[in-house]
Amino acid sequence: MTGHMVTEVTELAPEPPPKGIGVWLKENLFSTPASGAMSIIAIVVALAAIRGILGFIFDPSRRWEAVTYNMRLLMVQAYPAEQAIRIWFSVGVVVVLLALSLAVWRVGGRTSPRQVGGTLFAVGSLALLGGLLGPFSASGKIGWIVVGAVLAGVGYYLRNGLGERAKEESIPVLGAVAVVIGLILVVIWTIELPFPVRDTAGEQVVSFLPIASSTRIPWTIIALVGVASYVVMKFARDLLPAVPTRRVLVGLWVLSYPVLVLVVLRDPHVPLDRVWSFYLPLAVGFAVVGALVLNVAANRSLGELGRVIGAVALIIALASFAFQMEYVVRFLLLAFAFFALAAPTFGGEGASRRIFLVMWAISALLIVFFYVMATSESTVEVPGAFMLGGLGLTLILSITAIVASFPIGLLLALARTSKMPLFRIMATTYIELVRGVPLITWLLVAFIMLPVALPQGVSIGGVMRAIGAMTFFSAAYLAENVRGGLQAIPKGQYEASQALGMTTSQMTVFIVLPQALRAVIPALVGQVIAIFKDTSLVTIVGLFDFLHIARAVIPGQSQPFNFLGTFREPLLFAAVVYWMFTFTFSRISLRLEKKLGVGER
Amino acid sequence: MTMHETTPERVLGDDIVIAEGVKKWFGDFQALKGVTTRVKEREVVVIIGPSGSGKSTFIRCLNRLEAHQEGTIIIDGTELTNDLKNIEKIRSEVGMVFQQFNLFPHLTVMDNITLAPIWVRKTPKAEAEATAMELLERVGIPEQADKYPGQLSGGQQQRVAIARSLAMKPRIMLFDEPTSALDPEMIKEVLDVMKELAASGMTMIVVTHEMGFAREVADRVMFFDYGTIVEEGTPEHFFTNPQHDRTKLFLSQIL
Amino acid sequence: MTVEVREHQKTPLWRNATFLKWVAQIGVLVALLALFALLGSEALKNFNQSGISFGWKWLSDPTGVDIREGIDTSPDSGVRALAVGMVNTLRVGVSGIIAATVLGTLIGIGRLSKNWIVNKLSTVYIESIRNVPLLLQIFFWQAMALVLPQLATDDVGTYWFKASNKGFGLAWFRTDGGFWPWMLFVVAGILVGRAVSRSRHRIQEETGRITYPGLSWLATVIVFAAVGWFAWPILRFLAPVWHGIASFFRALPPIVYPIVGAIASIGFAVLWIRNFFESRRTPAGFGKLTDDDWFRVIFAGFSGIALAIVSFVIGGFVLTTVGGDKASVAELIGRGIANVFDWLGRSFEVTSGSPIVGSRPEVIVRGAGFVNFSEGGVVMSVPFFAIWTGVTLYTASFIAEIVRGGILAVPKGQTEAAMALGLRRSQYLRLVILPQAFRIILPPMGNQYLNLMKNTSLGIAVAFPEIVQVGTTILNQTGQSLPVVLVWMGFFVSLSLGISAIVNYYNRKMMIVER
Repeated sequence: MTGHMVTEVTELAPEPPPKGIGVWLKENLFSTPASGAMSIIAIVVALAAIRGILGFIFDPSRRWEAVTYNMRLLMVQAYPAEQAIRIWFSVGVVVVLLALSLAVWRVGGRTSPRQVGGTLFAVGSLALLGGLLGPFSASGKIGWIVVGAVLAGVGYYLRNGLGERAKEESIPVLGAVAVVIGLILVVIWTIELPFPVRDTAGEQVVSFLPIASSTRIPWTIIALVGVASYVVMKFARDLLPAVPTRRVLVGLWVLSYPVLVLVVLRDPHVPLDRVWSFYLPLAVGFAVVGALVLNVAANRSLGELGRVIGAVALIIALASFAFQMEYVVRFLLLAFAFFALAAPTFGGEGASRRIFLVMWAISALLIVFFYVMATSESTVEVPGAFMLGGLGLTLILSITAIVASFPIGLLLALARTSKMPLFRIMATTYIELVRGVPLITWLLVAFIMLPVALPQGVSIGGVMRAIGAMTFFSAAYLAENVRGGLQAIPKGQYEASQALGMTTSQMTVFIVLPQALRAVIPALVGQVIAIFKDTSLVTIVGLFDFLHIARAVIPGQSQPFNFLGTFREPLLFAAVVYWMFTFTFSRISLRLEKKLGVGER
Repeated sequence: MTMHETTPERVLGDDIVIAEGVKKWFGDFQALKGVTTRVKEREVVVIIGPSGSGKSTFIRCLNRLEAHQEGTIIIDGTELTNDLKNIEKIRSEVGMVFQQFNLFPHLTVMDNITLAPIWVRKTPKAEAEATAMELLERVGIPEQADKYPGQLSGGQQQRVAIARSLAMKPRIMLFDEPTSALDPEMIKEVLDVMKELAASGMTMIVVTHEMGFAREVADRVMFFDYGTIVEEGTPEHFFTNPQHDRTKLFLSQIL
Repeated sequence: MTVEVREHQKTPLWRNATFLKWVAQIGVLVALLALFALLGSEALKNFNQSGISFGWKWLSDPTGVDIREGIDTSPDSGVRALAVGMVNTLRVGVSGIIAATVLGTLIGIGRLSKNWIVNKLSTVYIESIRNVPLLLQIFFWQAMALVLPQLATDDVGTYWFKASNKGFGLAWFRTDGGFWPWMLFVVAGILVGRAVSRSRHRIQEETGRITYPGLSWLATVIVFAAVGWFAWPILRFLAPVWHGIASFFRALPPIVYPIVGAIASIGFAVLWIRNFFESRRTPAGFGKLTDDDWFRVIFAGFSGIALAIVSFVIGGFVLTTVGGDKASVAELIGRGIANVFDWLGRSFEVTSGSPIVGSRPEVIVRGAGFVNFSEGGVVMSVPFFAIWTGVTLYTASFIAEIVRGGILAVPKGQTEAAMALGLRRSQYLRLVILPQAFRIILPPMGNQYLNLMKNTSLGIAVAFPEIVQVGTTILNQTGQSLPVVLVWMGFFVSLSLGISAIVNYYNRKMMIVER
C-alpha cells in the first residue's frame, strides 16, 4: 500500500493525574478482597524467598572460594597458563567483530531517562530490601542500605523528577552499556577478595587481591579495544559502501570461528614440507582445473550436457570412497560435484560467472586449509583428551552443533515438505524417530555404539562424538522449526517463480528460503537456547564441560584446598552463568520478534 | 523470431497455441473436460465465465503450473509433456500475470524484475537492469525501482508484475484475472498497460471480468462453463448476439 | 500455415521429469541404505571379533542387577529389570505431569493477573527456571537433599513427615484387602453417575430448571463408594468368574494371538485404503490418482502385510522363561493375561480388611547401626526427589507460558461479544474463553508432557533407576548394546505415539468445525 503520510495535527490525550502511592497500592495489590489476600500471601512468599536466598549466599559456612579459586578451571579447564594469550586473542577477536557489527548494522536505539530510572529504582529497591532482610554484619547492612537508597533515589529522580524531559529518548543504549562496562572495569581493579598465594617461604597463605587479579589486564585491554573499534567503525561506516561491508563482516564471522578453534587455540604443528609438496599443489590444482571445468559446465549453449557433467562429478566423488585415498581428495571431489551440479543453474554469465568460479576456488583452498589444520597435531599440551574444558568446551559444543545442524535441518525441512513421497517419508521417519527419543539416549549411542560401527583406522574423539550426536539431534528440531516457515509461504510465490521459468533449486534458493528463514528467526534463536542448555548433558557421558567441572571436579578437590563435598556453591555459580547467556538470547529473540513483526501480519 | 513487432492493425500470424482435448482432474473433480482451441500469433483472446468454470485452470495448464492429464498442448511448436527441456523452453516463452500479483516481498522492485533474466536467461546484470528500467518506464513507474513491493499500491504492484513477466521477453502473455484484486480506482492504470501491450502485437490470453476491455481490445472472446468452451466469437458477435442459453444467462447476470 | 498436431513426441528418459523425480528419490534411499549397511556390517564384524553376538537371551537370563528402588529391587531376569525401569519412568513422569500441569496453570494465570506482586513473582519464576539447564537443576535438588540431616538411632519412631538425606518419609495411603472389589463399586458409581448427570443435564436444557448435573454425578460416586466400603465382601461370588476367564485364556491355543495381530494389522490397512479411495470418490466417479496417491495406497498395503508377518514372527519367537522352560512369545502373552485374571480372582477371595488404610513412615534400625525407613507410608528417595522436583518445576515454567499464550490468543472480540450478550465474568470465562484457549493450549501441552517424559531419562545422572539407567547397567554387564538401544527406542517412541494419540483424540473432540 502507498505510504499515505498523515500529517494532521492530533490532539494529545490528557495526561492522567499523577497517582499517589496509596492509589497505586489499591489498584495493583488490593483491588478486591481476593486480590488482597493473594497479595499478602505473595508478599510473604517473596520476602521469605529473598531472605532465604540471601541467608544462603551470605552464610559464613558457604565456601564461595571454591568458585573464585577455581575460576580458570571453570572457564577453560587445563589449558596451559603460558598459552593463555591464545584464549585472550580469541575472545578479543569475537569482541571486536561484535563491536564492528553493532556499528555497521546500526544496532541499539535510544532510551528515555524514565526507563533507565525505572531499572535503577528496581535494582536499588531490591538492594535496600536485601540490606534490611539479609544476615549481614552491622556495617554490611549499612553499606547495602546506603547503596540501595542512593540507587533508588537516583532512579526515582530520573523517573519522576525530570517532568516532560524524562520521556525524551535521549540516552543511547550502547552508551549506557559502555558506562556499565566502565563500572565493571573499575570494580575488578578495586574491590578485593581473598585468594590463595604462596609466600616467600613457599607456604600457602590467603591474601586479599583485586577481583580478577590475574585477568584484569586482558579484560581491560579487550574492553578498550572493543569500544575503540566501535567508535572507529561508527565514523567509518558512512564512508564505506554498506552492502559490501556487511558481506565482509559476515564472511569474517563465518571464518573466524573455525580459524580460532582449529588454528589459534590449537596451534597445530603443520608439516610444512608436505604442504609444499602435496597440499598446496593439490589445492591450487583443484581450484584451477575445477574452475575451467565449471566454466564449461555453466555454459548455457551446452544444454543438458552441463547437467551430465555434474552427474559424472557426483559419481566420481561417490566412487572415490571405494578406493584408497586421502580424505581431503574425497572432500574436494564432493565439493566439486556440488559446484558442478549447481553450475548450470547458478553459474550465471559475465560478472556472476566470475563470482561463481572465484567462490569455487576459495572453497577448494579453504577445504584444504582446514583439513591440514584439523589433521595436524596440536602443540598446546593439555593433560586429558581435549584442549578446552569448562565454559570453553560448552561454547564450542553449542556453536559447532548449531552451525553444523543448520544445513542438515534445512535439507530435512525441504524434504519433509517436498512433493516427492520417498523424500517425505525418509525425512519424517528421521525427524520423528530422533525427536521421540531423549538426547541422552543418542549421546549414549554415540559413545557406546558409534566407536564399534566405524571402519577400522577411523576413530572419533569424545568431543567429536558429542558434537555429532547433538548435531543430528538438533537438526531434527531445526527442521520442524523451518518447516513452519516453509508452510507459511503463499502458494503464489511458487507459482510466480515457476511461471518465470526458474528451476526448483533456483526457486528454493532465491525465493523460498529467504522468506522462510526470515519468518522463523525467533524460533531459531529459541533452538539456539535449547541446544546451549542441552550441551550440559555431555557431563553424563564424562566430558569436562562447564557443568561437569562445577558439579564433579570442584567438589572432588582435596588439593591444594579441601573442597570435598562443596556441591551447591559451584552449581549456583554455573546456574547464574548459564542464565546470563540464555536470558540474553531470549531477549534478543523477543526484540527480533517485534522487529520482524512475526505474528502481527 | 521477431519480437514486439509493432503492427497497428495487428495482422494475425500462425497458430502459436494449440490445445486439443485437454482434460484435467483435481483428485475427484474434473476441471477441464476436453478443451480444444487455437490461438494465433498477435491475437488477443479474452476468456470469461463463472467462477469454477475451469478458465483459470486452462491458462495455468498452458505453462504447466498445472499438468494436464489427457490431450495435447503445443506452444510455439513445442509440446508440453513431462520433458524438462520443453517445460523450461515454454516457461521462458510464456509470461504470466496473477490475480494476487505474487511479487517477491523480500526483493526490491528492481530485483523482482531482474532475478529471472539474470539466472534463467543468463543475461548480464547491467543489461538486465537497463531492460528493467525501460520496462518500468513503459508501465509508468520508473521512480519505484528501489522500493519493496509492500510499499506500493495494488495497481503499481500489478504493473511491476507485468514488467517482471515482460523482462523475460515472452512471446505469449497469460493474464489470470489481473484486475480482480484491485481497488476500482486502480483498475484503469493496469488495463491501460495491457491495452498498450496488445497494441504492440503481443499474443495475449486474458481471463477477466472486465467486459469493456474485452469489447475494446479482444480479437476473440471465449465463454467457459463446466470445464468446456461453450461459445466463442468476435466481441461484436459475442456481446450482441450470443447463441447459447448459458452464455445469455451469464451475460445477463454480469452486464 | 498452421502447425498440425503431431503424434505425442517420445520424451527421452534423461529429460523426463517423472522419471528423474523417482531416480533422485530411489538414488538417495539406496545411498542411505548403503551407508547403514556399511556401518552395520562393520559393527557386526567388530562385535564378532570381540566375541559378542547380539540376541535377546539376556531378556530371560538372570541379570544380577540390583535396582535401588522400584517394584522389584532384585529382578530375576532382564525383562523384569527393564519393567522395573519403565515403571519408575512412568512413576516420575505421570506424577510429574500432574504436578507440573497444576503448578504451570496457576503460574500462567498468575502472569496475567492484574495483581502486581503475583504477576512479578510468576515472571521471576518463569524466567529463572526455564533459562537454566534442567540437568543443573536436578543436580542442585540432589545436593540440597544430600545436606539434610542423617538418620541416627535416636530418630527411630513413626512420623507424619520426616526429611533426611536418605529421602523424605510421608504419611500416605495403602491398599488393603478388599481394594479391588471396592474399586468395582467406584467404577460402577462413575458409570451410573454419568448416566444420572446426563439425564439431569437434559432436564435442565428442556425445562430450564437448575438440576446441578455435575454435583449429582459426584454425589452418586460418593454414595457408591460409601456403600462399597462396607458391602465389598458380597462381591466374593465374582472370584470364580475371574478364575474362569483365566482358565479360558490358558486353554486358548497360542496361535490365536498372532492371528489376531495379523487380522488387526491387515484389517487396519484395508480400512485405511478403503477410506482413502472413498475420499477420492465423487458423484461423477473416481478422480484420477496421482503417482503420489498410488504410492500411499501401496505403502499402506505393504505395511499392513509386513506387520502381519511381524506379528507371526514375534509370536513364534521362543524364549527361555524364568522357570527354565522354553515358551513362545504367543504362549507367554496367553499366560500373562491368564495370570492377571487369576490375580484378580484371588484379590476377590479376600474377606477381611478395609479397602484403603492410612500408613505412616517409620524409621527403624536395620542391623548394626544402620538406620533407614521401613516399609510404611511413602518414602521419596533422594534421586526420585531430585529428578521429580527438577522435571516438574522445569516443565511447569514452560506450561505457564503456554497457558498464558493460549488465553492471550483468544481474540479480544470474543470477550467483547460475550460481555455484549450480558454474560457474567465467570460465565464468559467458563463458556467462551476457556474452551477456545484450551484448543490452542492442547497441542503444545502434549509436547511438554512428552518432553517431561523424555527428561526423566536424566535420572541416569543421579542414579535414579529409570529405563535408560537400568538399560545402561544391563548394557555394561552383558555388552548387548544394540538390543538395549532398540528397547529404549521402542519404549520412548511408543510413549510419544501414546501421548500424541491422546492429544489428537481430544483435539478432534474439541475441534471447531470450520468451513
